[in-house]
Amino acid sequence: MRRLGKEIWKNRALYIMLLPGLVWFFIFAYMPMGGLTLAFKDFNASLGIWGSPWSGLDNFRDLFHDPAFLRSVWRTLAINIGKLIVSFPVPVALALLFNELRMRRYSKALQTVFTFPNFLSWVITSGIIINILSNSGLVNGLLQTMGFDIVNFLGSEKMFIPMLYLSEIWKTSGWSAIIYMASISGIDAEQYEAAQLDGASRFQMMMHITLPSIAPTIIVMFILASGNLMTSSFDQVFNLSNAATKNVAEVLDMYIYRITFQSSTDFSFSTAASLFRSVVNMILLLAADWGAKRMGGTGLFGGVQKGEGKREKRKARKAA
Amino acid sequence: MKGYRKWTKRAVSLGLAALMTLSMAGCSNGGGSNGGSSSGGDDDTLTISFGALDNVTKEQWETDFHQFFMDKFNIKWDFNYVEWASWDEKMRVWINSGDLPDVSIWNYNYTDAKNYAEQGLLYKFPDDWKERWPNAAMAYEASPLNTQLEERFGGTYVMLRPTYVYHAQTDPMVNQIGVIGIRKDWAEAVGFEIKDAYTVDEILEFARLIKEQDPGNLGSSLIPICFDPANSLTCFVSSNSRHSRIETAFYKEENGEYQWGPADESVLEALKLYQQAYREGLLDPEFYLLNDNDKDKFYINGTVAVYHMGGVAEFRQTVDTEMRNNLQLNSDDVVHEAILLGNDEKYHNIILGSNYWSSLIFSPNISDENFERIMDLIDWTCTEAGQIVCNMGIEGVDWEYQDGEAVSILPEDTSLLDKYGPRVESMYILEDDFAVVNPSIKEEYRNRMNSLAQLKLDYGQGEYDDIDWNQEFHVSRAKDRVQFDYGQEYANLIVQEGDLETNWKAWVDEKMPLVQEYLDELNSSY
Repeated sequence: MRRLGKEIWKNRALYIMLLPGLVWFFIFAYMPMGGLTLAFKDFNASLGIWGSPWSGLDNFRDLFHDPAFLRSVWRTLAINIGKLIVSFPVPVALALLFNELRMRRYSKALQTVFTFPNFLSWVITSGIIINILSNSGLVNGLLQTMGFDIVNFLGSEKMFIPMLYLSEIWKTSGWSAIIYMASISGIDAEQYEAAQLDGASRFQMMMHITLPSIAPTIIVMFILASGNLMTSSFDQVFNLSNAATKNVAEVLDMYIYRITFQSSTDFSFSTAASLFRSVVNMILLLAADWGAKRMGGTGLFGGVQKGEGKREKRKARKAA
Repeated sequence: MKGYRKWTKRAVSLGLAALMTLSMAGCSNGGGSNGGSSSGGDDDTLTISFGALDNVTKEQWETDFHQFFMDKFNIKWDFNYVEWASWDEKMRVWINSGDLPDVSIWNYNYTDAKNYAEQGLLYKFPDDWKERWPNAAMAYEASPLNTQLEERFGGTYVMLRPTYVYHAQTDPMVNQIGVIGIRKDWAEAVGFEIKDAYTVDEILEFARLIKEQDPGNLGSSLIPICFDPANSLTCFVSSNSRHSRIETAFYKEENGEYQWGPADESVLEALKLYQQAYREGLLDPEFYLLNDNDKDKFYINGTVAVYHMGGVAEFRQTVDTEMRNNLQLNSDDVVHEAILLGNDEKYHNIILGSNYWSSLIFSPNISDENFERIMDLIDWTCTEAGQIVCNMGIEGVDWEYQDGEAVSILPEDTSLLDKYGPRVESMYILEDDFAVVNPSIKEEYRNRMNSLAQLKLDYGQGEYDDIDWNQEFHVSRAKDRVQFDYGQEYANLIVQEGDLETNWKAWVDEKMPLVQEYLDELNSSY
C-alpha cells in the first residue's frame, strides 16, 4: 500500500491529469446508476427516485408485452450487425491504403478530407444528405439530366438502411482509421526491409506484415463495437428518418425516445427499456471478449487464455 | 532551466486539471434554474422567465410594443424560446427536473396535468385568484375544461388558453381546421368551378386538371396539392370519416361499446383517396418530409394549387401579405378559400366544445411577487383595452380611434408580426378571438372566415360528436401506450408499396393488442 502511495506520488502530475476523467466518470457514469432502480419503481417526481414506490417487474412485463418494443430490439440488432459487417472493415482498409501512399503530403490531404465529416454533427450531415437526395436535389437532378426517372431516396424503406450505412461510412471512417494508422506506425520497419529483401510485393507486405500486426487493435475495436450492438446512432436515425421510413427506422433508441417524450411521461417504463438495452450490450461485449480470447486474441480485459501461461513459461525456458 | 521546465510542466498540468474540473462543474446544474425570480436593475423591476414557442429576436425585444409591456408592468423578460419540434420534450424535461421558467406555454394533456398537479410539479394558484384577477378569471372560465380540471385537481394548476372569449365565429363553435386555400386564377384557367365547399373527389379532380394543364407554367416545380402529414390526416381522412377525429381515436358506438376509429372501414375508404392523390402525383411527392411548412410553398414559392389554410382570418391576412411581398401578387385576385367536405358532402369535424389551445403553467418555485406581476399583465391583456394593444399594437402609432372605433393605421403591406415579431405578451386569450373583429385584418377576410365557419355547421347537418369526458379524464398506462401519431402512421401507410387494404389490415392487427387492452379498460369502466 505504501509502495502504491509512493508510486502515485512519484507520478502525481499524471494522476492529477487523470483526476478530471475519473471525476467525470464518477459523476456521469457511476452516480446515475442509482437511477436505474427506476426500472423497478413507479416513479413519482415529488417523491424522487428513492422515495417512489417499488413496482417489481411490472415495467418489464409491460415492455415485453409491447410488440413495438420487441420489433425495435430485433431491428436494432439487424441494423447493427449489418453495420458491423459493412462499415467496420472500411476504416481498416482506409488505414492500410493510407499507409501505402508514397506521397506523404497527398496522404495527409486525403486524411484530412476523410476525417473532416466526423466533426459535423448528424443534424448538419443529415441536412446535407437530405438536400442531395431529395427529389429536387443534386442526385435526382443529375438523373433527370441523363434522362432517368426521379428516384425517391428519402421515402424508400428499402434504401433507408443502405443510406444509414453509407452515411456512417462517409462520416466516421476517416476518424476511425486514425487508431489503425497509429497502430501501423508502431510496426517495426525492419520487418518491411527484410520482406523487401526477400522480394515481397507491397500487397504481400500489407497482407502478411501490416494486417497481422494491427490484428490486436482490430480485435479490440471489434469487441467494443460488439458491445454497442443494441445502441444505434440515435442522432443519425432521428435526423434521417421520416414518416415514410418509420417502419424500418424505429430502432430501440428511437423507441425509448418515443415512449419517453412523445406519449405521457413514464420515466420508469423508459428506464426499464434502457436498462434492458444496457444489459444486452454488456452480455454481447462479454461474449465478444470471450470469443476473441478463444480465437487466440488477448481480448478487451486482457487475461491469459487457458494453457497460454504454460506455453509462455516453456518459451522463456527454451530461450534461456 | 531544468527546474523552470519542471515547474512549467506542473503548472500546465495543474491548470489543465483545474480547467477541466471547472468546465465539468459548469456543465452541472448547480441548483441553477430557468425560474429566474430575481429583481432586475431597478428596485421594483422583476425579471420574469418565460418559455414560449415564439422566436423573438433581440431587435424585436427593443421595439415599442415589447417595451410598452415592460414599462407598464415594470418587468424584464428572461425569454426561453422553445422550438415547436421539441416543445413536448423540453417541457417534460423542465417540469420533471424542477427547471420550469416562471411561466410557460405548455401543450396540455390530461394525464400529464394530473400527474404534475399531484406531484407538486406545477404552481398551485392561491384560492382567491379569481377575485384578485377577475378579467383573467372571466377568460379562464370561457373554456369549460378549465373548471372541470379545477374540480378534479382541487385547485388551479393549469390555465387552458381560450380560443374565443368575447367573440366567436359561430355558435356552437367549430374547429378551425378544414379550410383550404386554392389558386383561383389557375382554377379559372382550367375551367374549374369556384365554390364555397368542395368534396375531396372534387379537389382531386381540380388537382388533375392543374397537373395536366399547368396553368402557371411551372413545369416540374408544380405541386397540385401540398399537405403535410398532419394536414393530410385532416383533409383526406377526417373529412371523410367521422371516426377519425383529431382529438381522440376512440369513440362510443350506439350500443355503448367503445371502438377504435382507425380500424373503421370509413378510414380505409378515406386512405384510398389519400393514396390515390399520392400515387397519381397530385399530392407533393415528398409530403412526408414536410413539417408545418407546406404553406410556404403556396404563398412564398407560388408552386402549389391547393393547401390547408385553416379557418382564421389572420391566416388569410398572412397569405395576402406574403403573396404581395414574395410573389408580387394580389391575393384577392389569385386565392380562393373553401371548406373541404367528405365525399358524402358532409362536414365531419367535431364541435370545439373545449374552447382552448395549449395552456399556461407556472413554476412551483415562482416567487409570489413574480406570480402576481404576471397575473397583473394577464389580467390587463384580458380587458378590452389590453386586447386592442395585444392585437393592434401601440395607440397613435399602429392604430387610432376614429369616431369612437379603433382603426388600423399600419401601411397595407405591413403586419404587426413584421413590425414587432411575435407578440408574446398576448399570452392568454388566443389571437383567434380578436381576429373575428380585428380592424387591422381586412373586413372581407373576417367575414369570409366567419361565413365558412357557419358553412361547416350547415354541412355538418348536426352530425357532431360531443367530447367524451370519461375518456378525456381516463388515466392509465394502457391509454399512454395507444397515443399514436396518426398523421405519421397514415403517411407511412400511403407510401408503402403493395395493396393499401392489406397494409392497413396488417397495421390494424399490429396495433390491436395494445388498443384492445385500452378498449377493454374503457368498456369495463364506462
